[in-house]
Amino acid sequence: MRNLAAILVLVVVASSVCVLRAQAPAAESRSVWDGVYTEEQAKRGEPIYRKECALCHGDMLTGGESSPPLSGGAFLANWNGLTMGDLFDRIRKTMPQTNPGRLTRQQDADILAFMLSVNKFPSGKTELYRQSEMLREIRFESAKPAAKK
Amino acid sequence: MREKNRNRLNLVLVSSFAGLLCWPVASSAQSQPRNTEWPSYGADLAGTRYRPLDQINAANFSDLEIAWRIKTDNFGDRPEYKLEGTPLMVNGTLYATAGSRRAVIALDPATGELLWIHGEHEGKRGGAAPRQLSGRGLAYWSDGKEERILYVTPGFRLICLDAKTGVRIPSFGDKGEVDLKQNDDQDIFPDLITGEIGIQSAPVVAKDTVIIGAAFREGMTPRSMRNNKGYVRGFDVRTGKRLWIFHTIPKKGEFGYDTWEKGSAEYTGNTGVWTQITVDEQLGLVYLPVESPTSDFYGGHRPGNNLFGETLVCVDLKTGERKWHFQLVHHPLWDMDISSAPILADITVDGKPVKAVAQPTKQGFLYVFDRVTGKPIWPIPEKPVEVGSVPGEWYSHTQPIPTKPPAYSRNGVSIDDLIDFTPALRERGKEIASHYHLGPVYTPPTVSKLEGPLGTLTMGTASGGTNWPGGSYDPELHNVYVYACNSCIEPIGLVPAPKEVSDMNYVAGTAGKEVVVLHGPGENAGADSPKPPKKRQGSGYISLNIDGLPMVKPPYGTITAINLDKGEFVWQIAHGETPDVVRNYEPLKGMSIPRTGQETYNIGTLVTKTLVIAGEGNVTTTPDHPRGAMLRAYDKMTGKEVGAVYMPAPQTGSPMTYMMNGKQYIVVAVSGGPYSGEYIAYTLPSTGE
Repeated sequence: MRNLAAILVLVVVASSVCVLRAQAPAAESRSVWDGVYTEEQAKRGEPIYRKECALCHGDMLTGGESSPPLSGGAFLANWNGLTMGDLFDRIRKTMPQTNPGRLTRQQDADILAFMLSVNKFPSGKTELYRQSEMLREIRFESAKPAAKK
Repeated sequence: MREKNRNRLNLVLVSSFAGLLCWPVASSAQSQPRNTEWPSYGADLAGTRYRPLDQINAANFSDLEIAWRIKTDNFGDRPEYKLEGTPLMVNGTLYATAGSRRAVIALDPATGELLWIHGEHEGKRGGAAPRQLSGRGLAYWSDGKEERILYVTPGFRLICLDAKTGVRIPSFGDKGEVDLKQNDDQDIFPDLITGEIGIQSAPVVAKDTVIIGAAFREGMTPRSMRNNKGYVRGFDVRTGKRLWIFHTIPKKGEFGYDTWEKGSAEYTGNTGVWTQITVDEQLGLVYLPVESPTSDFYGGHRPGNNLFGETLVCVDLKTGERKWHFQLVHHPLWDMDISSAPILADITVDGKPVKAVAQPTKQGFLYVFDRVTGKPIWPIPEKPVEVGSVPGEWYSHTQPIPTKPPAYSRNGVSIDDLIDFTPALRERGKEIASHYHLGPVYTPPTVSKLEGPLGTLTMGTASGGTNWPGGSYDPELHNVYVYACNSCIEPIGLVPAPKEVSDMNYVAGTAGKEVVVLHGPGENAGADSPKPPKKRQGSGYISLNIDGLPMVKPPYGTITAINLDKGEFVWQIAHGETPDVVRNYEPLKGMSIPRTGQETYNIGTLVTKTLVIAGEGNVTTTPDHPRGAMLRAYDKMTGKEVGAVYMPAPQTGSPMTYMMNGKQYIVVAVSGGPYSGEYIAYTLPSTGE
């Protein structure tokens, strides 16, 4: 009996490991180059950006005197190696500057989708998540991975 | 009345708060030579950002380690990601503004220990402020007995604190404050709570006079051609009493009123001094760098040259009376605010000593004048410039262009400026540029059209060249050291303003893109207002970069050393590591690309006995360091890099230095992206460490 129990434990542990192994690569493979928003979502985000963000960050996302650009090299460098969750949290915590947190999670996600589209990250079939925990699974990488060419 | 009650309530809270956190600082208060301290925002009232210290030098800069650090997250009800302050260090205490509440903190300069904190809870007035967050810093004053700290809150109130305790000085103004929205020779509209006016720069104190300018929101798409005006005032540092006012937009009967045709001086606003003010205490003269009038890119409602918009004005320290002025840009149309402190320099030109003032600018010209007379040191002739065709606009047919020194950063866009790493990239750059009007400095904005041009592609305008951090000056070598963004492209297009957006004829915008509309409940587009333009089908945004690469060629950002005796460059270098997006760009792999510098406008320099020190404005990840930015040191004679030290985030406030207990420290503000504000103090390891 003792042996049987030991075998069962081993099977359970082994299968857990297998499950973890099976899941790990899938979680690690998601980046902004994997179509993490839809075109429709980016279109929804554009008017929200224009109403809520453009006054400071500029019509063309090039930034203003007191606001960083949201496109181009400086923007990409600022977030390279982090996750979409980090970017989403930053927006949730501090934007719009006059009343942080006023926009809904959906609106913030739509704005982010619009920013991704302006920065020429590819769109896909699923919308960008609305929760930071889930967005943390999506890495922000400024350079297009070689394998994805 | 409600305002009064709120202030009283806050006073009680603030007093209790400050009282709880007050420790004596007497142990560290000892008199030191002033040149080992940093007693005002720019090191001195001349705006030099210079200290003749050399314990930290070329041989040991890379050995610097963190002495202390302080995050600013808890100095406000939310973290701040844009910490722009430069602390003061005087009489054994370090003072700084910090956090989203613009709190004032006093620290031990050797350890970073918090000695006291002061914060003002301004409620709606703070929330409605045009210039929020922690600002650039504060001012220190002493008569040898009393020590005071002065700063301006986001809600535009001048606060005077006891430097030893952080408690308000009750005899100053109204229980330690002066409401800057009042007694300003204008009624701030619509009311004292939401009326648009504020300031983010540090006050200046000279000979017992506190000098305060004014700032507003970004002026690209104003709701109205009318706005509050940015007058400059002097106050008695002992009592808070207003001593003088200078009308940056002249009142009827005053000099310059006739440069505002059709009575436009009556309603035009802005034209403030939002950046640092410089003072020559010996001469009793104040140098005011004035910004643009309403609005940044369209001046059809303010015909005329518009004095004192974008003008360097010299006024009397005691009276505020104008002594001389020089308008750098007539009838401003490019947002070329004079954006940084004028720099005072005693130089020798053609064998003669000259008391000069040098003004760095967004347009990359360093304008140099005799600071007593206002006469240019080298000729600044009026040159013909392109006249535009925006309906209703008024154009100056000439602009003053310095003959010396040469422009130290790009201030126009031509095909030759475009990216040229490969022929293919050049072609892509040309394709983007083909949608815009190009030209040299002072090429005017265009109406944005779908068929083109979408606007004028400019550099050296809103965000180019040198912005608020300004330059440094070395009184030993007579060199100005100045960072400039050499790749900050600004497309300036104008679109008719829908009536529900603005009463202006034109505001900044792009054809095919809806002008920002701020709808209230039940609001609809007015029957007579222009219809919003149709959306461009499928074209999306025309990105001004190519796969993230800047569309112009390097260097993207530079530091230039300019000798003021000769009006010539001593050296110019690319400042900042080559951005990740360039180093990792597949088509460029294998190419040898010299360091490009970085595209940013937040970089202030510090000059010491031997070094010019400046941090990077962008994050990079390289084989030599993880995600972060470097604080770099250059030999001030040659520009050669002699050392670098890692920072966890980009420099966002200009560095300063001081001696404490025999050790030299460098303090720099870092923040940005996901990294909230932090002051970091670096020093050398102690012997034996």
